[in-house]
Parts: sequence; structure tokens; C-alpha cells
Amino acid sequence: MTPALFVQSAIIGVSLGSIYILMALGLTLMFGMMHIINFAHGAVYMLGAFVIYYVFFQGGMPYFVAFVASMVLLGIFGYLVERSIYRPIKGGIEPTLVALLALTTFLQAAGYPVFGQLDKHVPPVFPGTRNILGVGISIERLMIIPVAAALVIGLYLFINNTRLGAAMRAIEQDKEAAALQGVNVHVVNGLAFAIGFALAAASGALMAPIFKLDPMMGEQPLLKAFIIIILGGLGSIPGAILGGLMLGLIDSIVATALGAEPAFLLSFVFIIMLLLFRPTGLFGYAS
Amino acid sequence: MRPKLGVPIVLATVVGLALLVPRFGGDYYVHVFALVFTNVILAASLRPSLTCGQLNIGHSAFMSIGAYTSALLAKNLAVPFEISLVCGALLAAAVGLAIGYPSLRLRGVYFAMVTVAFVEVIRLIAQLWVSLTRGMSGLSGIPKPSILGMTLTTRASQYYLVLGLTLVILLVLWKLEHSRLGLIWKSIGLGDNLAQSLGVDIARHKLLAFMLGCFFAGTAGAFYAHFIRFLFPPEFGFLMATNILVYNYVGGRGHFVGPVVGATFLSLLSEPFRGSPYETIFFSIAMLLTILFLPGGLITLPRKLAELRWWRTASSPTPSPAA
Repeated sequence: MTPALFVQSAIIGVSLGSIYILMALGLTLMFGMMHIINFAHGAVYMLGAFVIYYVFFQGGMPYFVAFVASMVLLGIFGYLVERSIYRPIKGGIEPTLVALLALTTFLQAAGYPVFGQLDKHVPPVFPGTRNILGVGISIERLMIIPVAAALVIGLYLFINNTRLGAAMRAIEQDKEAAALQGVNVHVVNGLAFAIGFALAAASGALMAPIFKLDPMMGEQPLLKAFIIIILGGLGSIPGAILGGLMLGLIDSIVATALGAEPAFLLSFVFIIMLLLFRPTGLFGYAS
Repeated sequence: MRPKLGVPIVLATVVGLALLVPRFGGDYYVHVFALVFTNVILAASLRPSLTCGQLNIGHSAFMSIGAYTSALLAKNLAVPFEISLVCGALLAAAVGLAIGYPSLRLRGVYFAMVTVAFVEVIRLIAQLWVSLTRGMSGLSGIPKPSILGMTLTTRASQYYLVLGLTLVILLVLWKLEHSRLGLIWKSIGLGDNLAQSLGVDIARHKLLAFMLGCFFAGTAGAFYAHFIRFLFPPEFGFLMATNILVYNYVGGRGHFVGPVVGATFLSLLSEPFRGSPYETIFFSIAMLLTILFLPGGLITLPRKLAELRWWRTASSPTPSPAA
């Protein structure tokens, strides 16, 4: 591998890692508060990308509007999922996981009759390339990094500096005690669902102009996000960020050298090894 | 007194009907029911693991290992069916040990995520190792099953083979569930800290339940390979793994017959939609409705209905002690 190719795949790796981080953050946030894994996260990523297809490409609206629409619509969807699936199950972790699994397969399968059998493509939003350290990188991929960084910083500020953020942290520490202090646990859980879904939609929306769109497109990012949160430790936000960057780099550099499938196999072997020695991930804590 | 007589009568009727399928149904029904039994094995073999509180969403990976192992041994090395089947099942169990051991110390959700990722790993290996598995072209030309050197050429004979396999496996699983081991599994599922404090080696028993499931999933896969005689890596993907889990939940987790009922009911009901996206749509809706409105699964439906009627007729209902 030439140095130029290395630099190029490293930058693409950071951009890929940013997408993974957005996916993993929502998962880890929801896990921290409710101890559930949102298996529907990949399907939400897919829906986020399709909103871009319909609003930006078919509807002719500006990309920014479509991006916000994608986050808002799926955020509302997340809140509704909390109301109609999570809340009626009353905190049963295993039934919730299975219900979310069912929701995923439903959204994926329903995608074929609704969106059509053929792959969809979204035209580039930021065409062209930019020269960085002597290598050309598409601006499309570069733009992902600041947008994702802004969302991550926004989430961080929200969690640490607002009353609702404090309520979320309170639920994470102790749900009953938070409820006794007057935190409306249902509403705040619903908010966590909405934020998680909106972040997944944002990553789908950012990837829409780069990859082809089909109902199963969310499966790979979901598996990556799983690997990231196992790597970083469930419930840990710094873990998700570090894990996302690591996996993005592995995916890009190893994939450039050996191909995409060996990169995935390698990351799986890596987490199995890690689990042997540190069962709670790099930043995780035992419950 | 009634249940003591009732259970054998129901059992005999079901087995009797199953034996009569090839006589009265055509090759189509024989084919459909043979696949129903494969699904029954898969669903029932997941149960011990679920009983221990392990959410295994990777069962199709072990089916795939059994299927490919048995098919390749029989096809390339002319190994007799009985031996290749056992080899497939043993390799599935061995891989189960290799994956299960590092994962077992994990909390439930970590375990679920590792198994999901593992399905993808096995699919990718089957897809990429083209020189062995023919990758995405699919593995064809797998010999038909044989017993003691006699090839089972007719669909009906293959049907009786899988019926026999299913009954034996169900008997083994039933015996285990009602043994000391079954009680230990149950105690781990109800509260593993408590079980550990009473001296149960939870890691070893969880691993045993997991490997047992992998062994039987490998067996089901091996039969499937020699029955369909064509293997295609994506078939054993995430969707199949989810379906096996769904059979358990829709049937009901509370009783041994739950996965059997769930697998039979859903496989038969989804048969008209097979291969289309509507199969999955149907599955997932059945799943969501069951979780939300019938948390005990289909096996609790008769009691629920009986309770409903009872509530209407009786003026002062008292909860039945059997509930």
C-alpha cells in the first residue's frame, strides 16, 4: 500500500467512522437508559436514506431541508415506537428485544413493495473532489465529518447542560429514584427513542448520496454499530466514539488492502478476542 | 385424571396424522411437512438456550455449518449419510463451544449481539470460500440421504426419515427438560445469581445448553442439505435466525410444546407466501401481535379463551388456581 493510498483510506476511514459513531451513539444512549438494544436501528438508517431519496431527489427540495425532515420524521417515529411497543411491554427486556427485531424485519420486508424492487440512487449533493495531503478525496465524504461532529457535540451539550439531559442522566443512574424526583420517565424514555432514531436517520441521510439504496441497506451499519458498542462498552458515549473511529479506520484501511468482507471478519475476530480478556468492552462497566 | 389420558391421546393422534401424510398428500405436502419438521427441530433446539436466559439470534449459523459439512463430506469424500450427518452436528457443536465460551460471560444483550454478528461471519465464510463451497453459485449435486447403504430416493422415505429424527430429538430434549439438568437451566433463567449462590456452575450449564442447541441445529441443517440438495449462503442469514426465535415466542415460552406449535403454525401459515417479501411481513406482524397481546404465546390461547367465556357466564369470577 502506497503512502498516498494509506492517507486516502485513513481519511475515508474517519468519514466512515463518523457514520458508525452516529449509529452507535443512539444505541448506547438507549441502552444506558432502558437496557435494551434497538435492533430496529438499521431499518431506521434505511428509512432515513429513503427520506432523502423522496424529499431531495424526487421532491426537489434542498438537501438541508431533506436532511432535517429525515431526522424529524424518524424522531417522531421513534417516539411512537416507544409509546406503542416499549411502553406496553413494561420494561421486559427480552420481549422488547424480540419486538424490535420483529419491527426491523417488518420494515425491511415492507420496503420492497413500498419502495420497489430496484436499487435507488441519489445524485451527489457535493460533487467534486478536494486535494488533501496530495490525495483526492470526494467532498461528499469529507462533508460527513463536520456534520457528524456537530451532531455529536450537540448531543453532548444537550445531555450535560439541559434539564431534559439531566433527566436522561438521572434515569440512567436509577430509574425509580428519578421518577420519585418528579422525572416523567415515560416522556424522557420517549425522548431517548426519538434522539436515537433521529441520529440513525442522520447517518442514513448522510450516506444516501454515496451508497445505493435498498431495504436491506441498514443491516451492515447495524452490525458495525453492534461491534462498536461491544468494543467500546455498552452505555458508554466515549466508548462509542472511540470504537466508531477504530472500526471506521479498520474498515477502510483493511478493506482497501484485502477487501470489504475480510475486514468484517477481522473486526469480528477482534471483538471475540477482546471479549475473552475484557468482557465489558474497553470503557464498559459491569452491571 | 383427564390430562393423564389426554396427553397420550393427543400425542398419538398427532404422530398418527404425521405418519399418514405421505399416504394421502401428494409430493407437495410431503415436501412442505418435511420442512416443517426441520423447523420444529430448529425451534425446539433453541429452547434450552432460551430457558437459560440466553437470547441466541444466531441459530441459523449452526444450521449452515451442519448443512455445509455434511453436504461436502458426502459429495466430495463419499462419506455415508449417517456419518456425515453426525459430523455436521458435531462440528456445529464444536463451533458453538468456540463462540459460546468467550460470549457466555457476557450479559444477555452482549450475547445477543455476538450471535447476530456470528450469523454474518458464517454467511461471509460460506460466500467467500468459493473453492470449497462454490460461494454464491450455490452448492449443488448433494447426494440424497441414505441409511445403511440404501439410498432414500422417494420423497416419502425422506419424509419418514425427518419425522423419525424430529421425534427422537424432541424426546431427548423433553427428557432433558424434565431432568435435573432441565431444572438447573430453568433456575439459571429465573435468576442466575441466585442459582450460582446455590452452587450451580452457571457458565458450564449455559454452555452445555448452547452446544446442545448447536448440535441439533447442525443435525437439522445436515438433513436439509441432503433433502433440498442445494445450498446457498444467504439462505442461512439473519432472517432465518430471526424466524427460529420467532417460532419460540409465537408458540410460547412457557411449555415444551411452545416451539413445536410455533414452528408448525407459522411454517404452514406462511407457506402460500414463501419466497416473497410478504412471508416476512406476515411473520413480523404475527410476532408483534403475539408479544403485545398474547405474551404467553399461542399455547396460552385456549386458556385465555376459556377464561374469557368463563368471565362472561359466571357472575362472580374467582381466579382458577391452575392459572
